[in-house]
Amino acid sequence: MLEARGVTVRFGGLVAVDRLDLEVPDTGIFALVGPNGAGKTTLINALSRVCSIASGSVRVNGTDVLELLPHQVVSAGVARSFQRAELFPTLTVLENLLVGLHSEMTTGLEGALMTPSTRRQEKAARVRAERLLRELNLWELRDFSPADLPYGHQKLLDVARALISEPKLLLLDEPFAGLTEAETPRLLACIAGAGRRCAVLMIEHHFELLEGIAERVTVMNFGRKIAEGSPSGVRRDPEVLRCYLGTGRHGQAETAAC
Amino acid sequence: MPRYAVTVPVVIIAAVLPLVLQLIGERQVYWLFVVSEFFVFAIVAISLDLLMGRTGQISLGHSGFVAVGAYTAAILNARFGVDLLGGAFAGGSLAAIASLFLGVPATRLRGHYLGIVTLGFGIAVDQIALKWDALTGGDQGLHLHRPTLLGLDVGTPVLMYYVALIALIVATLLVWSLTRTRLGRAFAAVKDSEIAAAAMGVPVASTKVVAFVCSAFLAGAAGGIYAFLAGFVAPEDFGIDSSLLFFAMVVIGGMGSIPGAIGGAIIVDAIKNAAATVSGLSLAILGGMIVLVVLFFPGGLKALLRRHAAKRTTLDRTRNATVPLDA
Amino acid sequence: MTQYLLQISLAGLAQGSLYALTALGLVVIYNASTVVNFAHGAMGMAATYVAYVLISQLHVPVPLAFVGAIAAAFILGAVVQALLLERLNGAPILTQVVVTLGLFMFLEGVLGLAFGYNPRPMAPPIAIAPVTVAGLVLRPQDIVQLALLVALGVALAALFGATKLGLGMRAITENTYAARLMGIPVGRVLGTAWGLGVLLAAVAAILAAPTTSVTPNMMDTIVVYGFIAAILGGFGSLVGAVVGGLILGVIVNMIDAFLAPELAMSIVFGLLVLVLYVRPDGLFGRKAVQKV
Repeated sequence: MLEARGVTVRFGGLVAVDRLDLEVPDTGIFALVGPNGAGKTTLINALSRVCSIASGSVRVNGTDVLELLPHQVVSAGVARSFQRAELFPTLTVLENLLVGLHSEMTTGLEGALMTPSTRRQEKAARVRAERLLRELNLWELRDFSPADLPYGHQKLLDVARALISEPKLLLLDEPFAGLTEAETPRLLACIAGAGRRCAVLMIEHHFELLEGIAERVTVMNFGRKIAEGSPSGVRRDPEVLRCYLGTGRHGQAETAAC
Repeated sequence: MPRYAVTVPVVIIAAVLPLVLQLIGERQVYWLFVVSEFFVFAIVAISLDLLMGRTGQISLGHSGFVAVGAYTAAILNARFGVDLLGGAFAGGSLAAIASLFLGVPATRLRGHYLGIVTLGFGIAVDQIALKWDALTGGDQGLHLHRPTLLGLDVGTPVLMYYVALIALIVATLLVWSLTRTRLGRAFAAVKDSEIAAAAMGVPVASTKVVAFVCSAFLAGAAGGIYAFLAGFVAPEDFGIDSSLLFFAMVVIGGMGSIPGAIGGAIIVDAIKNAAATVSGLSLAILGGMIVLVVLFFPGGLKALLRRHAAKRTTLDRTRNATVPLDA
Repeated sequence: MTQYLLQISLAGLAQGSLYALTALGLVVIYNASTVVNFAHGAMGMAATYVAYVLISQLHVPVPLAFVGAIAAAFILGAVVQALLLERLNGAPILTQVVVTLGLFMFLEGVLGLAFGYNPRPMAPPIAIAPVTVAGLVLRPQDIVQLALLVALGVALAALFGATKLGLGMRAITENTYAARLMGIPVGRVLGTAWGLGVLLAAVAAILAAPTTSVTPNMMDTIVVYGFIAAILGGFGSLVGAVVGGLILGVIVNMIDAFLAPELAMSIVFGLLVLVLYVRPDGLFGRKAVQKV
C-alpha cells in the first residue's frame, strides 16, 4: 500500500526526517513510536503533503503522492487525523463528517438551487455519516458543535472524519492522546475495525495499547528509523531502550508508559 | 427554512407592511422606499456574511461590488432598455468577474491582503465612476427608465417594494441552501482550519476565491436592484462609508448567520437613518458597537437573541442523548 | 525634462516618506501581534488632534506639542493593545482585525463629533523658504521628513536587532505560548510594539498635517498607501516597508504629474494587484510559512 523510500524533510538547517524507508501492506495496523521531536508527526505531515519533502519518494497504491497537491491526497486514498483534533467548530458533528466526503461529492454552486442531484448526493452522504456516527455512538450528538464536545469525543470524531472516506491508508497522529480510560476502548475498537479494511499508520506511545492490535512497530529517533518489529520484540531492543532511557525528561515519561 | 415560528411571521409582516402604510397614509412613499432600500442592503449584508462570517475572509470594499452592479444595470437600462432581472443578473455577473481578478491574487497568501485589496477596489470604483463620465455620467449620475420586470411595469413604490422583498427572500434561500451543501461546508471548513480542510480534499485557495466570487455576485445583483429602486445612480451612494456600514451589519448581527446579517442590517440601517443629520455620529456609534460586540458579545445579535432559546434546546438534547457528555 | 523628472521624484520621495513611516508602524505591529491594524491612520490622526489642541488652544510651544502628541500616540497604542487586543488573546485573527476596524470608525466618528469635519489648518513646523540646489527646489519640510524616516528606521532596526525588546518580539512572533513560558513579559512587549507602531503613524500624520490640514479623515489616503507600501515590502520586512513607501511615493507623484491625479489610487491599486499576481509575497517578502 505505502512505499516510502529515502524520505527526507528539512526545516531550514534541521533535518526532521532523515532518509527514512517505510513499507506498509494493504491491511493491518502499523505504529510509529519514538521520543518527542523524533520526526513522527513530520513524517505523517510529509506523507499527507502538509509539508514538503526535500528528497525521497512516496507511493500509495502505485500513485506518486509527491505529484499531488495537499487537497488531492485524499482522493488517492490517504486520509488523516490530527494530534489536536483539528475539527470545524462552526459546523455540526454531522457536517464535520460530511466534509470528510468532500472529494467524493461533486455539488458546487448548484447546491444553492438544491437540484435533484444535489439532494440525492446529500442524502447518500448523510446516510453514510449516520451509519458511522451510530457505530461510534455519536449519533445523539450530531447537531452539536464539536467545540462543545468533551475532548475524547473530539478525538473520536477526528478519526471518524478521516475514516468516512474509506481510505486505503489511514494516518493517525496520536489518536489516544488525551483520552480517558473510559473513552479508549471505543476508539480502539474503531481503529481495529479500520485495520481490517485498510492500512493504518498511527503514532502511539503506549506499547500496551499496541501489543493487542499492531502488527509492526517502527521506532524513530532524530528523524531516523532505529528499530522495527513486533511490539513486544521492539520493546526489548537495546537500541530502543537506550534512546528512551537516554533522552531525559521525555524518555522517562515514555518508559513509564511502556 | 427551519424555525418557521420566526420566519413565517416575519415574512407575513413584511408582506402586509405596504397595506399598513396605506392605512396610516402618512409619508407612505418615503417609508416604502426606506424599507425597500433596507431589503436591498440586507442582501448585501447576507452576501458579505457569506464571505466574512462563513468563510472568514474580510472585505472592506463591498460597496464597490454594489456600485459595479448598480452602474452596469443603470447603463444597460439607460442605453439598451434592459429590464430589472437582466440588469440585476448582468450587474451581479460583472461584479463576479471583477472579484475573480481581485480574489485570485489576494486570497492566495495571507488573509488580510483581501481586506486591503478590497479597500483599494472600493476607492478605485468610486474614482473611476467619477472620472469616466461618458459612461457613468460622472458626478451628475445616471437616470434609469421606469423599471420593468419580464415585460411588466413595476414602476410604483409598492411594486418595487415587493420586488425588493422577493429578491431578499430569494437571496436568503440561495445562501441558506448553499451553506447546507458541499460547497458551503467547504467554506466553513476553510475558515475553521485550512489544514484540516485540505486534508479532507478541500482546495483551500480556490474555495476562498469561489466564496469571494459568490459574495460579489450577490452584492452586484443587489446593486442592480438598487439602481432600479432609486431610479438614479451617483458615485456618492457607494463610497467607503457604505462599505463600512455593510461591514458593521455583519459584525453587529453576528458573523456566520443569515438572520444575524438581516438583524444587523435593521440595526445599522436604523442608526444610519436616525443619526444622518449629525456628521460623525453614526460612525462613532457603529464603531463603538463593533468594538463592544467583539469584546463582550462575540456572536453578536444572533447569539444574544439565541442565548435563551439555546439554553433550552441544549438541555433538551442532553436529556435525550443516550451518550453521557462526560463519558 | 530630466530636471523636471528629478524634481517630481524628489517630491515623490518626500511624499513617500509619509507612506513609509505609516507602513513601518503597520509592520512593527504586525510583526509582533500578526494583526493588521486598520485603525492605524485614525490613531495617528487622533494624535494629531492632540498636537492641534495643544498648539492652537493651549498655546503650548510647537516642539513641546509635538512631543506631547507623540507620547500620547505611544500611550494610545499601548492602551488599545492592553484593553482591546489583550482581551482577544487567542481569538481568530479575523476577530482582532474586526476590532481595529471598529476602533477606526469610532475614532473618526468621535473626532468628527468633537471637532467637525471642517479642515483645521496646521502651520508647518519649519517655516524656512525652499532653497534651490543645482536647479532643484528643496523644501525644508521634505528634507526633515526624509531625515526623520532614516533616523527612525535606523533606530527601529537597532532596537529590534540589538535589544531584549527585539528578541522578545521575535520570540512572541515565533510562538507566543513558548515565549510566555520562557518568562518574556508578553503583554508588555506587545504593548510596546503597539505603542511604537502608533507613534510612527502619529509622526506621519503630524508631518502630513500642514498639507492635508487636520480633519478626521486626514489619514485615509495616506494609510491606504501605507497598507499598499507594506504589502509591496512583503508585510513583515522593515526595509521592505521603507523602500515600498518611497517607491510608491514616486509612482503617485508621477501619476499626479503625467496621468490623472484623480485616478492615482485606482492606478496604484491596479499595479498592486498586478504585483500580487507576479510576486505574491511582495517585492521584498520572504515566502510565508504555514505552521501545523
